[in-house]
Amino acid sequence: MHQLQYACPTTLNECLLLMKEAGAEAMPYAGGTDVMIHLRERASCVQNIRLLVDLAKLEPLHGIRLENGMIHLGAMTTHAEAAASVLLHEHAPFLAAAAATVGSQQIRNTGTIGGNVCNGSPAADTASPLTALYAEAVVASASGTRNVPVPKLYGRNGVELAPGELVTEFVFPSFAGWKTSFIKLGRRKALAISRMNVAAALELQDDGTISSARIAPGCVFRSPDRVHEAEELLIGKAPSRALFAEAGQLSSEEMIRRTGVRWSTAYKQPVLEALVERALLQAAGLPLEE
Amino acid sequence: MPLFGDKTGFDVLNQSKPRIDGADKVTGRTRYAADYTMPGMLYGGMLRSGLASARVVHIDISPALAIPGVHAAITAKELPNAKSWASYQYLTDVVRYEGDVVALVAAESRELVRDALEAIEVEYEPLDAVYDIRSAIQPGAHAVHEEYPDNKFSQSVYRIKKGDVEAAFARADVIVEREYETQYAEHAYIEPEAVLAYNNPNEGDMTVLSSSQNPFFTRRYVADILGTSMNRVQIIQQTLGGSFGGKEEGVGLAAARAAYLARLTGRPVKIVFSREESFLESAKRHPFLLRYKAGITKEGRIIAWQGTQIDNCGAYNNQTQFMNWRANAHSAGAYAIDNIETETFGVFTNNVHGGAFRGYSSPQLIYGQEQFIDECAAELGMRETDFRRINCLKDGLSNATGTTLNTVTLSEVMEYTLAQTDYENKRAKHAKQTSKEYRYGIGMAISHRSCGFGAEAPDASGAMLIANEDGSVYLNTGLAENGQGLKTAYAMIVAESLGVCYEAVSFYGTNTHSIPDCGMTVASRGTVMGAQSVKLAGLKLNAIMRQNAIELGFFSDTAKIEKACGLAEGSLRDLVVSDPEQLELKQSEFYLKEYPAYRVPFGAVTGSGLWAGKQMSAFEWFTPPPCIQDHETGQGTAAPTYAYGCVVAEVRVDLRTGYVDVLHVTSSHDVGTAVNPALIRGQVYGGIVMGQGYGICEDMEPVKGKCVCTNLDSYIIPTAMDIPEMQINLFECDDPSGTYGAKSVGEPATEAVAAAIANAIANATGKRIRTNPASLEQVLLGKKLR
Repeated sequence: MHQLQYACPTTLNECLLLMKEAGAEAMPYAGGTDVMIHLRERASCVQNIRLLVDLAKLEPLHGIRLENGMIHLGAMTTHAEAAASVLLHEHAPFLAAAAATVGSQQIRNTGTIGGNVCNGSPAADTASPLTALYAEAVVASASGTRNVPVPKLYGRNGVELAPGELVTEFVFPSFAGWKTSFIKLGRRKALAISRMNVAAALELQDDGTISSARIAPGCVFRSPDRVHEAEELLIGKAPSRALFAEAGQLSSEEMIRRTGVRWSTAYKQPVLEALVERALLQAAGLPLEE
Repeated sequence: MPLFGDKTGFDVLNQSKPRIDGADKVTGRTRYAADYTMPGMLYGGMLRSGLASARVVHIDISPALAIPGVHAAITAKELPNAKSWASYQYLTDVVRYEGDVVALVAAESRELVRDALEAIEVEYEPLDAVYDIRSAIQPGAHAVHEEYPDNKFSQSVYRIKKGDVEAAFARADVIVEREYETQYAEHAYIEPEAVLAYNNPNEGDMTVLSSSQNPFFTRRYVADILGTSMNRVQIIQQTLGGSFGGKEEGVGLAAARAAYLARLTGRPVKIVFSREESFLESAKRHPFLLRYKAGITKEGRIIAWQGTQIDNCGAYNNQTQFMNWRANAHSAGAYAIDNIETETFGVFTNNVHGGAFRGYSSPQLIYGQEQFIDECAAELGMRETDFRRINCLKDGLSNATGTTLNTVTLSEVMEYTLAQTDYENKRAKHAKQTSKEYRYGIGMAISHRSCGFGAEAPDASGAMLIANEDGSVYLNTGLAENGQGLKTAYAMIVAESLGVCYEAVSFYGTNTHSIPDCGMTVASRGTVMGAQSVKLAGLKLNAIMRQNAIELGFFSDTAKIEKACGLAEGSLRDLVVSDPEQLELKQSEFYLKEYPAYRVPFGAVTGSGLWAGKQMSAFEWFTPPPCIQDHETGQGTAAPTYAYGCVVAEVRVDLRTGYVDVLHVTSSHDVGTAVNPALIRGQVYGGIVMGQGYGICEDMEPVKGKCVCTNLDSYIIPTAMDIPEMQINLFECDDPSGTYGAKSVGEPATEAVAAAIANAIANATGKRIRTNPASLEQVLLGKKLR
């Protein structure tokens, strides 16, 4: 039988020591909404796990705060907390919006942003806005901490942390004043895994032209990433339907260039174009149709 | 007769009485089969092959038996009759689909069951396989069963031959031909299958507490595996958390396996399916390949109709022949056509078996037929509404089986629904949309459905009513509550026919030791036909109790009657009450028709009656009038009557992602008599959502015999967030065939929804999807990705 030990440390130090000791046999347990399913399915990612380390009581992993223009988002922040966060609505509204689309209310009450990212699925809804935000994950271990940009957490098989490592929080600059959007396409309106999603953020100058742009599509690359050419296209130009349609096209071209033509490309190509275009229109406050 | 609300003369029926089991369900007090435990109880489990087609070369159960706490492990070799009375296998060493079971274990805990199953070593030799209808009918295809070398399930072949199709096609101005295809769909009830089997000599050889849709059907499996007689097997049906046709074979097999393990170990054995097992072994809404061809005059009359309806039986079957009877009888839809030739048959494949699922073939057929009707109208350049007006069934016309129909409410139901939804205006307006992002669509579908079994099987049933000394009444019948509200409807029919208060009646479900086998609770027959015996028993006991009231002297004191009626003393001196016809029994009170003010409580008569040795119970059997069809031509009487419906769906299609948002569904049904309008609405609401899921997102996606979607994370059913706005219209009519004039509604509620949605999508996009469901990829690309 698959026997599991369970630990619920109360300090981060205690937790990191436990994880160091157990090494690759330790699995952090945040909301459990993915881990429990992996365990039930005996997925390969939990095959060697012998210890579940419950993070619930680790104070530093909870809460969202603004410090010197940077948002610190605790890894144990639940989707429901993120979706309702006044701070996020001001400084990263599309992250709150993405959190609000995860699973169902029950899952959002339990599942966490840290877990959503560290589960390593390319369909993680919060990973797209975090990528667009240039968020860094603070990765702690018994031997210290390091900051890793969210896309860099991913290796060939999803998020690849060293044994004993734990994401404690995400840090990103305030995007107050940016115009952001998050669009998700699922097979139904709730309890849906993204077929694709797009997080977009635009910074506009006084003359109305775009000074900075971030476009991060989900379920498109092996790990969350931005579409650079499409972003660059927008700089210095005024928002328009034609411009955003072109950005959509550049995005799908980049997808094909980087991932090749797959069985799903026939669908993903036109739909990514539509979602990027719509996300940018929504961010810029332009109507979908004339 | 029009919309619900015009019927008179009922004391109890036609009212939205609260569900008899409602409070217990919503407060969580109800017990389901999985809730039971017993001292010494073991858990049973199945080792499923996970392969579509293979032979077991070697299987070693000894590592499982070596685990402490594991009490039994058996394979097909150890089970004398591994093949059930039907074609399904309790255990097998030839795997024909991925849910096939190669070993059974019983152990002290669920965890030990899992360990034991994992410890069993099996070596398989993969065999050829065949997965879909098209390849199964190819010459030389792998034969799933030796007895059926061409994979054609010969017992499931049905035909309609009416008129002269060839001559009619020759006369036709326009000929239209199309092909449609539907998918595997799962019932997805809340409660997975559960059974607890134990031996108590006081009760027989084996008792099983089970989540059976049909307890007598389950009993057949248990008696079969034990090789014992049916009077020694007791099945006590527990409250079901949904069934929709799914808890027939799967629960029968589970009950038999648990019973066998219980006998082997001498301990109670409980088996509860995981969600994945429920997906793997319960019967599915089976795929159909539908080909229709119509010959039409330029005025829009269909004069010839040809059809081939091939269904995927999966690996085993004992229902396709019945489902195909239904598919055959309904092979020309709700239309009056003089010349019809259709053929329906099933083919075996290495997939999960098809079986009963709310609609029993009709949702598949209507999906094809009602799109076909729209397509025919489009070919003629005619409005699809007018085309239906011309061709739909009407009084005095005959359907595919050649039955001349009366009280056909279809036109009325359809016109009301079209007007209410402003269908024709919206349809024309939507056809002119130019948006490249989102477009709106409206679509319709009509249906006619035979009520009850008809010629499929004898629609007989029995019921027993017991009046207790306190005036309470107990009903016992072999038809079963499956969540549809049967207990409530039956209690109301008892109250109406016997003449007691609804609250005085109780009905706690079916125990096979206590009542004869009344056939299965399927085919939407529970209320319309199954309740006929309940009504007969009620009427009989009503007469008996009126006689008792007289014989016990409750109407012999004329002074009391005078007083109660405010009549002069002595004025009724000569009144003699000796004929039960002088009395009424209604709402638990006896009274004289002539002097109704004097009332005698039902409980007073039962109280005296018990001690006077009076009969206070009645058993009645209902035998339906014969329905006889010619097997070669399908002509004859298929059913006592038909239910008619019309569904209009309104959608918004995202042209750039293929996402279909079902915005509004209007569903109108002729229910004959609305026994309990609130229950009917509940069934129709659920039916709409089930149809929506079928039409938009539900697909088990078997890839080479392995279902990709075996849990509710990947098998997508609509959530509360997806449910459309719903408008329900109930129609009643004066058709005496069903119990108190009731018609079927459980299945009509879901059968036409996917078709209406498909027609709405075509209205929105101008493109026709002929493969169900309308998934993102299907809508955007016109094909599935895999």
